Amino acid sequence: MSHSSSATHAQQAEIFCRDESRVDWHSKALWLMREKRDRAAGSIPEWEQLRQLGSEIKLHTLTNLADLLQQFEANCQANGIQVHWARDGKEHNQIVHEILARHQVKKLVKSKSMLTEECHMNPYLEERGIEVIDTDLGERIIQLAGQPPSHIVVPAIHMKKEEVGDLFHEKIGTEAGASDPTYLTRAARQHLREQFLSADAAMTGVNMAVADKGAVVVCTNEGNADMGVNLPAVQLHSMGIDKIVPNLDSAAVLLRMLARNATGQPVTTYSSMYRGPKAGGEMHVIIVDNGRTAMLQDKILAESLKCIRCGGCLNTCPVYRRSGGHSYSYTIPGPIGIAVGGSKDDTNSIPWACTLCASCSGVCPTKVPLDKIIHHHRRLKAEAGQLPYGKANYMPLVGKLMGSQTAFNCSMSMARGALKILPGSLLKPFAGAWGKYRELPVAPKSSFEHWYKNNRSE
Amino acid sequence: MPGRNEILSALAKSALDKQPMPVIDIAPNMQDLTGQFETNLAMVAGTLHRDATLELVQEKVNSLIAEGLQVLSLVEGVTGNRTLPATPHELKDIDYAVISGELAVAENGAIWVTEQHQHRVTPFICENLLLVVAEEDLVANMHQAVTKLTLESGSCGAFIAGPSKTADIEQSLVVGAHGACSLGVYLV
Amino acid sequence: MKIALFIPCLVNQLMPDVAVATLELLEKLGHEVIFPKGQTCCGQPMTNSGCYNEARNTTMKLLNSFKGVECDAIVCPAASCLVAAKENFHEFDDSPEAEAVIAKLYELTEFLHDVAPIPAFSKAFPHRISLQMSCHGVRMLGLASGSEFMGKPFNKVEAILAKIPGIEIRYPERKDECCGFGGTFAMDEGAVSAKMGKDKAWFHANTGAEYVVGYDPSCMMHLDGMIRRQQLPVQTRHVAQIINAAL
Repeated sequence: MSHSSSATHAQQAEIFCRDESRVDWHSKALWLMREKRDRAAGSIPEWEQLRQLGSEIKLHTLTNLADLLQQFEANCQANGIQVHWARDGKEHNQIVHEILARHQVKKLVKSKSMLTEECHMNPYLEERGIEVIDTDLGERIIQLAGQPPSHIVVPAIHMKKEEVGDLFHEKIGTEAGASDPTYLTRAARQHLREQFLSADAAMTGVNMAVADKGAVVVCTNEGNADMGVNLPAVQLHSMGIDKIVPNLDSAAVLLRMLARNATGQPVTTYSSMYRGPKAGGEMHVIIVDNGRTAMLQDKILAESLKCIRCGGCLNTCPVYRRSGGHSYSYTIPGPIGIAVGGSKDDTNSIPWACTLCASCSGVCPTKVPLDKIIHHHRRLKAEAGQLPYGKANYMPLVGKLMGSQTAFNCSMSMARGALKILPGSLLKPFAGAWGKYRELPVAPKSSFEHWYKNNRSE
Repeated sequence: MPGRNEILSALAKSALDKQPMPVIDIAPNMQDLTGQFETNLAMVAGTLHRDATLELVQEKVNSLIAEGLQVLSLVEGVTGNRTLPATPHELKDIDYAVISGELAVAENGAIWVTEQHQHRVTPFICENLLLVVAEEDLVANMHQAVTKLTLESGSCGAFIAGPSKTADIEQSLVVGAHGACSLGVYLV
Repeated sequence: MKIALFIPCLVNQLMPDVAVATLELLEKLGHEVIFPKGQTCCGQPMTNSGCYNEARNTTMKLLNSFKGVECDAIVCPAASCLVAAKENFHEFDDSPEAEAVIAKLYELTEFLHDVAPIPAFSKAFPHRISLQMSCHGVRMLGLASGSEFMGKPFNKVEAILAKIPGIEIRYPERKDECCGFGGTFAMDEGAVSAKMGKDKAWFHANTGAEYVVGYDPSCMMHLDGMIRRQQLPVQTRHVAQIINAAL
């Protein structure tokens, strides 16, 4: 798994960039989602008003979270839902395992949940003899391939259909060489039907948890969450504390934007609300912190918890599109991944996988100030003495040089001189990454300061 | 629960200042709701039958049965050739399920469907889904829909917008992922 | 008006023609232009790397060069540097003197659109240009609405240039996608930066324009290096050079 190595984002990205036609293919596929988003959002005259509401609803929620969580818990219990609290991923996994073990569950079907990825739940349960089947098609593809997701909405976006065809041939017996997406999807439908029908329990993530109803909202296009949850007796839903919304009016605002901003659809095919267990069944909701309350204690990082995981920021990110999801050290890639995973990044490089172009912030349906959060992570890394790419060595020198005008002017005039005198072939190696990919600037005769002295000063 | 109390007390240390709940006041687009609904339903790959009647739905069901298909109807006044089984798993060979929708949403083609019997899986497990909705239950947008929908304690419901679909392989849209492979909506 | 020029270090040292064009066009428009001494880097390379301590001296040196300077506006022909200067001045100095400087800071096109509009252009510029809508100018300074924004669109740069007789304005595909410069990003993430720059250079060239025109010299320098490496039949120009040529 490429993402678990300690290579920096730049190193991983450089490998991804070696196959330029693949970079173009990847970048174009994601840009297409951005274009679909633009059309869908543009068809709603009140789009910017919705974004403002989305931001304010989430801020209201985050600043009243303790009350809303307790309200949610009480209402869930009144509806016959069992509520659990987990401080971290390990506790979450233990709670899930305890529930499953009590019901002698051998097979768990799971719909998409970035939280369970974050908690590394699958390996935990598998080590304890429980088979976990990811049922979202993209998730199933990468599960069969033994890879982490490369995108939070389209987790197998990095794979070509021929690669999926080969994988399915090997793992679920499709015809050799077959790569037609409809054929492969039909085959997966048959394969996963058997899993749904033989599962002992089902699990989903949560898109929104409605406090005043004590209900969870789960959105999918494939119907895998509902196929999973509605067959076996036991259903589990894992949610971060940030998934709370006060009421259905708030959910409506977010539901209007979620799919439009993700894929350009007017709404996901299924937006399901579960407000209690099925007759004779059990429904469990596990509320997880795993670093979120800590994020709330930093005013800038806190706003990253407004995110509704539409993936729009990944699709627009020029760096993500050209480096691939597996180049980021954290489970969630792209701008939102840097925002929520920056503090957990032991490569100390993902906050720099960004040009601070701020397209992500402009696309975000809840106005998460992603570029400001990423910028803030850089500062936190610097303060913690965790700067990448040699910055700890050269930044003080640059600061000193720039702060002293004489030294700066002197060195720049030397540089200008070098640019003029030395041939490009000799200069390029010295100019490092700049000269490797670009021509060096053409040296002007003199600085503006010098020109001004000769032409304007009395 | 130690986790619960620890999380709640950690929340007291939040750096954010309290923010009020905003007023959600968005003017609905009331123009030609049926037309809007039809356009958006088509966009999500569903098919609309305007000015339908229960008789028309029954005719459709009869023709499906004549083709040898398994049809389950949960709509009063429409009869299929299957009855509810004891376990939800036995619904796996239902070719068509006929179910009533409570609300239809013009802005996105979604229909609110609630739990109508002990098997919640019916609208999802059937190969094809036919939804019957009264035209008077058409609303403009999701803001209106959530004020009108019913979601009883202990129950569930879903907005269903078209047949199940995926674009997980190279962004190619394929209709018919895990849920119904087609959706027909009868506006009565 | 009396205008003090803020000429960022990069422009001063490597693109003096941009500064000369800025000075000349403002003079042609009847403004009195001065160039306060002692200017240096705004500190952006350091603060964008998280190194605030390392940025303090240079930022303060730049800020001090404007304190007490008698002028109506401080105008800068580099959007990104202007944004960073504003933010960094705030960060390191909350005195009224600093506030007075910050209140007078304008990016060149912002100044020519919002404060002192150009009455008329006297010369034609009969060429096709492809506009480089650099990120910080769009998404932080509001020179134009970003392509992500779904409200009423606007573009101050186009509004100014469109009045030049004979000019033909085009946009590259993915209009305001980042060119990949990103300051030290160009060195830290060389491969991705170069791929972004290459894509951008080609998108500009594909418009059939003679000139790629932008308001952010650092992006233009990056694109120029990319265009020459790709040997594309297009040249880079700063908006100041186009405006100056048409006055």
